[in-house]
Amino acid sequence: MIQANQLSRKYGEQFAVEDLSFHVRKGEVMGLLGPNGAGKSTTMKMLTCFLPPSSGEASIDGVSLQDSMAVRRKIGYLPENAPSYSDLDVQSHLKFVGAMHGLADATLEDRIREMSEQCGLEHVLHRRIDELSKGFRQRVGLAASMLHDPDCLIFDEPTTGLDPNQIVEIRHLIRRLGEKKTVLLSSHVLPEVEAVCDRMMIIDQGKLQVMGTSQELSRQAHGEALLHVIFKASAEMVFMKLKEKLPDIEVELKENDTPHSYAIHHPDPESPLAETLFHTAVSCEAVVLEMRSGQATLEDVFRELTGGNQ
Amino acid sequence: MRGGMNRVAAICWKEWRTVVDTPLGYVVAIAFLLASGFFFASNLFLIGQADMRGYFAVMPLLLMFFIPAMSMRALADEQRSGTFELMATMPIRTIDIVTGKFLALMLQISLLVLMTLFYPLTLSLIGNLDSGQIAAAYLAMLLLAGCYIAICLYASAVTDHAVVAYVVGFGILLALFLLMQTLPTLSPNLQDLLTNLTPLSHYQSMLRGVISLGDLVSLLAVTVLFLTLTWFQLERRRWR
Repeated sequence: MIQANQLSRKYGEQFAVEDLSFHVRKGEVMGLLGPNGAGKSTTMKMLTCFLPPSSGEASIDGVSLQDSMAVRRKIGYLPENAPSYSDLDVQSHLKFVGAMHGLADATLEDRIREMSEQCGLEHVLHRRIDELSKGFRQRVGLAASMLHDPDCLIFDEPTTGLDPNQIVEIRHLIRRLGEKKTVLLSSHVLPEVEAVCDRMMIIDQGKLQVMGTSQELSRQAHGEALLHVIFKASAEMVFMKLKEKLPDIEVELKENDTPHSYAIHHPDPESPLAETLFHTAVSCEAVVLEMRSGQATLEDVFRELTGGNQ
Repeated sequence: MRGGMNRVAAICWKEWRTVVDTPLGYVVAIAFLLASGFFFASNLFLIGQADMRGYFAVMPLLLMFFIPAMSMRALADEQRSGTFELMATMPIRTIDIVTGKFLALMLQISLLVLMTLFYPLTLSLIGNLDSGQIAAAYLAMLLLAGCYIAICLYASAVTDHAVVAYVVGFGILLALFLLMQTLPTLSPNLQDLLTNLTPLSHYQSMLRGVISLGDLVSLLAVTVLFLTLTWFQLERRRWR
């Protein structure tokens, strides 16, 4: 549905997006992840024919971006911060957007009714947009982007600035949309992308770092064996013996957690770390209160690929 | 093409809603009518002339202050609030955006200007008015307003700030006005050239009651020139 081939965009000499290639399948919800300034918005601006790429090409449903008018008809776009005409009431704004998409009056009224139901706008249709909360404005933006019933939806940070309840509502809405439509959404909030998207890609400094499902991505970052363990008392003896059996381990004391809590790393993910630790602890008569294997979260992947805690 | 027309009409309608829904529109309208009423009445009662020449002579000054105020938000606000991105990613041609914005402003100014028809109608009750001359003057006023709107729309396209758009628009209009004042001091050749270029000189020539093709074309040409510049400016910010 969305196909990008070596898409690049320069601002002056600086690349905002560099050689970005990806593919979003029909009916898929794809998350575009990256820290602020990674090039997410620039990518979306190119795909929606707002900014021309400096090089490379892309197509939406087989239509090249060169045919910008046809592409604009195929996509529904929610720009960052959901801009809308704040002097107008919600209905007038939606009417205007519908008219811009060339919808006939009768169709437009039906669509406004449908979309306001779907986005929960029925009760605010006659309120001025500048009187609405950020959550409602975001919903107005979403409703406006879907008025002409496009197959492909592109949402730039659809949940920024919303409270937790609103975030859940918008996520549900996007999930529902994703059943029928192709959705590309950007975010720097990881749980959101994990909750909503079928697949995701992480970009940093304009370049694609990794792409796949959240499980695939977690697996990629999971390059070592990790074990969290809590002893009842000090376990120096256990670690000394453990090091004799597995010399490569690295023990990290988690002082901010419960007392005698440790994280144990081993570079080889296949090493029998848990097993060896268990037997060693038994032989030393050290009481283990808790032991669990650590799993790299998407957050670890994100931090690893986008340069730590920048 | 029909789609294009509908979109132009939709932009006009949206602009109109914005004006009638906000206090600014009414403030500007009331201020314009008060100011034009003042100039009309001062001419009539203070100078004691039952004609409109003095009134028509100051109207360009009034338009010079009011049109930048009415046009400043037209495109600057769209760019500032991000709605330009919304509009630019919809299937609409830039020329439709420019035409819609221009026609919306033209409609607003025309309404204000036509409201002042009340003055010549009043005058016609107490004196003999040359209705042809009045008609020519009103046509000239509308054409001049068109020029000024196009200039101020361009000013609104080059910046994201409405206040900067006002200053730029007013600045260009003021420069044209001052150019007119300095004309008599220039050499005759230069005078001829500049007279042809300034919209105000064509306006004044039409006030005599003679509508020449040259004046019409010149006023329209300036309008089209600045609308084209506006189009060009928006196209630069947008993709084709």
